Amino acid sequence: MGTATETFYSVIRRQGITRRSFHKFCSLTATSLGLGPLAASRIANALETKPRVPVIWMHGLECTCCSESFIRSAHPLVKDAVLSMISLDYDDTIMAAAGHQAEAILEETRAKHKGQYILAVEGNPPLNEGGMFCIDGGKPFVEKLKMMAEDAMAIIAWGACASWGCVQAAKPNPTQATPIDKVITNKPIIKVPGCPPIAEVMTGVVTFITTFGKLPELDRQGRPKMFYSQRIHDKCYRRPHFDAGQFVEEWDDEAARKGYCLYKMGCKGPTTYNACSTVRWNGGVSFPIQSGHGCIGCSEDGFWDKGSFYDRLTNIKQFGIEKNADQIGMAAAGAVGAAVAAHAAVTAVKRLASKREDAGHNS
Amino acid sequence: MTRITIGPFNRVEGDLEVRLDVESGRVQRAEVTAPLYRGFEQILEGRPPLDALVLAPRICGICSVSQSVAAAAALRHAMGTEAAPNGLLATNIAHAAENAADHLTHFYIFFMPDFAREAYASQDWYQETRERFAATRGSAARDALPARARLLETMGIIAGKWPHSLAFQPGGATRAIELGERVRLLSIVTSFRTFLERTVFADTLENMLSLSTADELDRWRAGRSGDFAHFLRLADSLALSELGKGPGVLMSYGAYQGADCGLFPRGIVGPDMVVEPLPLSQISEDVSHAWMRDCSSDPAHSNTVPDPDKAGAYSWCKAPRLSGQPVEVGAIARQTVAGQALIADLVAPSGTNVRNRVIARLIETARIALAMEQWTRALRLSEPFCAPSQEMPDGAYVGLVEAARGSLGHWVAVRGGKIERYQIIAPTTWNFSPRDSLGVAGPLEQALVGTDVGEAGARSVAVQHVVRSFDPCMVCTAH
Repeated sequence: MGTATETFYSVIRRQGITRRSFHKFCSLTATSLGLGPLAASRIANALETKPRVPVIWMHGLECTCCSESFIRSAHPLVKDAVLSMISLDYDDTIMAAAGHQAEAILEETRAKHKGQYILAVEGNPPLNEGGMFCIDGGKPFVEKLKMMAEDAMAIIAWGACASWGCVQAAKPNPTQATPIDKVITNKPIIKVPGCPPIAEVMTGVVTFITTFGKLPELDRQGRPKMFYSQRIHDKCYRRPHFDAGQFVEEWDDEAARKGYCLYKMGCKGPTTYNACSTVRWNGGVSFPIQSGHGCIGCSEDGFWDKGSFYDRLTNIKQFGIEKNADQIGMAAAGAVGAAVAAHAAVTAVKRLASKREDAGHNS
Repeated sequence: MTRITIGPFNRVEGDLEVRLDVESGRVQRAEVTAPLYRGFEQILEGRPPLDALVLAPRICGICSVSQSVAAAAALRHAMGTEAAPNGLLATNIAHAAENAADHLTHFYIFFMPDFAREAYASQDWYQETRERFAATRGSAARDALPARARLLETMGIIAGKWPHSLAFQPGGATRAIELGERVRLLSIVTSFRTFLERTVFADTLENMLSLSTADELDRWRAGRSGDFAHFLRLADSLALSELGKGPGVLMSYGAYQGADCGLFPRGIVGPDMVVEPLPLSQISEDVSHAWMRDCSSDPAHSNTVPDPDKAGAYSWCKAPRLSGQPVEVGAIARQTVAGQALIADLVAPSGTNVRNRVIARLIETARIALAMEQWTRALRLSEPFCAPSQEMPDGAYVGLVEAARGSLGHWVAVRGGKIERYQIIAPTTWNFSPRDSLGVAGPLEQALVGTDVGEAGARSVAVQHVVRSFDPCMVCTAH
């Protein structure tokens, strides 16, 4: 599927995307990555000259919300990113091949692009009962995951399932659903948490890796800093009402119609690191707090087992919040712990690039 | 006799495996396996009831609103309260958007790409079909995905985000729609209608829905452009109306809520085409061939306890039965129970099959688009969107809705302000059920019997058509 030396640009041009539209995509991506206008031309240049990076997108124990989020990304070019730009060689949800033929693609990619492909994982492996709770192609998913991870350049852990375990790992976690990084320990892993992650965050991460040939800067928990360094609360449009002590007490009450703060309805915005209040959802239209419901903190580890979703956070003081929340921030954000891993990925991508140029056009 | 295994299935929601016993190129027996289990019903036990509104939708990233609406309906019954009419309208609009989006995804991304496979290279429609529908490369996906994404902006306005929206509550919806937002909603619905009229049907929705017989449909499609007419030509050429016959009884819980806006009614209909009331107390779940421990067959009193070593079991899916019989659910059941003239005229002579299931989905999509317009106009913006929450007394309650793929029920028992039991029967649990204790096969297992796989064996494209015609949602199935 696809040729080894094709560039992103040649593929999307073949699909009838205009040059103007392509450059718009590059600017939007640069903006969403927080890289400023100069980066747009770097992205454009990279997409025009670099070969496509093979991506294997596997599904473990999950609900497909990450795929759903990804294919709804706002910019029309992004769906081409899904369908061709990133050379999606294997994806359960959209690919043409089935059964043994599909399994063969995995073997082929592994052999042909050893150490050069990105393994994107949606969901996680359940380890209970020898992996019996997620059987894929007659084998426990955990085996397939380990096999494909062995020769991957880097792994993207999509969503809360792959990053932390998510609601299926909630007590009593009947299947022993386990985050990817507890199973794969010898590869760079970038966590993109959220249930699901925002489409633009997902495409931003993929575009960054394929454009710059390295992982973006990660925080101590392995999340890209460019999207996960601010709390929902920091940029929430209802923040002034929090500061003024104006709160919603009941769904759709008078205070709700005035857009007051949802903290008393259980909002977890003050302790949640994600881009919802800046990037927003469904084409930038809205985000959960804008629908009048509090944030449930779905991108945070363990959000499913911290008491009722409708309980108010008891460790946040209404005033003097900064001191308390900063302590949380210290623990969550931290320094870059993945520099070594990121360096390994850079090297691998460079190797990939030079090798492919040598290989020439082979299709 | 040869036994072939097909799996993992691609282009379905979740994991799926099908085993077929084949003799002389024909399927003699089929076993359908749902190979994934997460344990939502176990996880929900002991939690505060309202937490089901957050946890249950996460069963599925494709029909999360259906799960939300079912949970909210069950909890509303537990509270013994009425929802605000505006809240139900807003919920209907969002739910309809999700269901319509699911139908489009099924048609364009999951179902049609199989007709672009090499097996059909000798057909005169092959080249055109390949250019339009080939998986990940055809032009159709480029038209359908943006239309679908735009439709789902409805969710942004009503529910903040999708999938896994949070706005749907027992009392209604958390978001009061404002005037400007109503205008935006109408503009989204209008652009969806335009997509349907230009690309899918190549005709107005009103004209489409005025067709009431198979003959009228044949005359309508002659020489017509559009993807629906293209499908009808394929269906004729491949005799898809003779492929994948269902078990004969169709069920609908009734779709979309509200006193004056329940769009599709509740009921069951058999081969005689007489619609009868649904005997809810006759719903049971059998676990004889599921990796589950035996307990009550009544969903109101049963628990889900996995037993991975159980002898004779072959799926994580339980076997739901109505009055002891397997039944088929989905758009075709909804539209037949609702007495939609064209669908009834197609189902009466040939029952349910690959062709009729697909037609029913597209006809339903047209009906939903018109209903969304009406619901959006019917919102009374200054009135409440959400009734206050009430205490939930001890007892057993049920919430029944129709997801895109068919009947979805949540049975919840509350004790001391906590969830005592939570049982979910999803549409694909009905359709992809394994055998029951009497050895009766589930609807898909029955529909696969007799399928001609010829020399192709596991690569048989006919098997793919039959399985996909049900639009399976495997993560909902075993949850």
